[in-house]
Amino acid sequence: MTLTHPEGTVHGQVGDATVPLRFTDLSTEYGVLRDRAVALDLSGHTLVEISGPAAVDFAQRVLARDVEYLTSERCMMSLVLDDDGRVVDQVLAFGREDGLLLESSVGAGTRLIEHLRAHNDEGVEIVDRSADLTVIGLEGPYAWGVVGRLIDGELASLPFEAVSDTVWNDVEIVFARTGFTGEYGYQMIVPVESAADLWRATLEHVTPSGQEALELAMLEVRQPIPRLETAGDADVIEIGANWLVDVTKDEFVGKEAVLAAFESRQGRRTVGFSGGDVVPEPGARVLAGGEDVGEVVFAVRSVGLGATLGLARVEAGLAAAGLELTVEGAGVTTLTSPYIVPKSWSIPII
Amino acid sequence: MTVDELRAKAAERQQTCSQIKKMIVSRLDLEVEPDWITDDQPLFGRGLELDSLDVLELYVAIEAEFGVALYDSEMAVFGSISRLADEVDPRLRASA
Repeated sequence: MTLTHPEGTVHGQVGDATVPLRFTDLSTEYGVLRDRAVALDLSGHTLVEISGPAAVDFAQRVLARDVEYLTSERCMMSLVLDDDGRVVDQVLAFGREDGLLLESSVGAGTRLIEHLRAHNDEGVEIVDRSADLTVIGLEGPYAWGVVGRLIDGELASLPFEAVSDTVWNDVEIVFARTGFTGEYGYQMIVPVESAADLWRATLEHVTPSGQEALELAMLEVRQPIPRLETAGDADVIEIGANWLVDVTKDEFVGKEAVLAAFESRQGRRTVGFSGGDVVPEPGARVLAGGEDVGEVVFAVRSVGLGATLGLARVEAGLAAAGLELTVEGAGVTTLTSPYIVPKSWSIPII
Repeated sequence: MTVDELRAKAAERQQTCSQIKKMIVSRLDLEVEPDWITDDQPLFGRGLELDSLDVLELYVAIEAEFGVALYDSEMAVFGSISRLADEVDPRLRASA
């Protein structure tokens, strides 16, 4: 961890990373994220550089989406799958002049790098850049205003997943329009030695938000949270992360298994639910008309809904919104995504 | 409700969602198989990566196929296929 956090910050271990779970309290941080803008310490995301003459070929084979023409002005979210079609990680891939830069999900860097090295048939160079680069994020309906005050207002209106190599305070940074929560989102990849300065400068404009508020907001718009959704044997189809896989691509690791799962039309599917006073544990049984039809993937207390919000994995024929089901004796209702409409959808960047 | 009644109710929504997916793939000439699109995935920006021109096309297509005019609707109606199903078939929303 390279950034300084205020006294009282609660940290936790997520995979291989120690991350700030909350700086103050979940409710406050969530409220600021949905109403204004927050800073995110994303140093738990590992940056992996892929370079060498075959870098693009390698990335094209190990990433589930098409990155063949990913220029240095674009980034793209993609799943990384194993041969059985299980999710290894969800990465943000940045096109670079000499290859790609992959940003892991939180705490998943070690697992990602091991997987990439195990599949390195092309002999590309795979370098963990987390010792010299880190990531700071901005997220919220007014995050674009912070970009203007912090760096350059023109960067705020970049198209979604556009990337710009720019300079902040004489330091070269990679700036990207991204977003995990449905709100306006940006990321800044910055050298470690300058990260503390940029973090402090960012906090002159916004307050920070921890991992708990970020993941709650991600859940509300069905942005996959790999560490919480990939436990057990769930495959891409069961998770519902099809949109992070491009099956029209000729070849990628895990493609055959994903297609087989898709074509079988069997298995379970994931659906959101809300209800009940108690937050059920992962694995809690889900009943429909008294019959066991699935299990809870994970659930939290949603600040925005003022109720329990979670994901359940149920038989495909019951994965639909508007059903009354039972979880641990409590009635719950399955939901239509997004569960909270992001404020950014009705606020233009000006 | 019994489990079979719940399955029937789910099937009704899934049928509408399936119809919407086929319409989107056909109208926007997407390469993907309609069923590959999930009911809950985002449509704009992330997900299906539709843009504002696609929205205009969808307004026309939805009115032609479902007889529902969404021209003045907020972007939230395009939050997902399932959300769009609520708009084109209000019975689904009423029973939710």
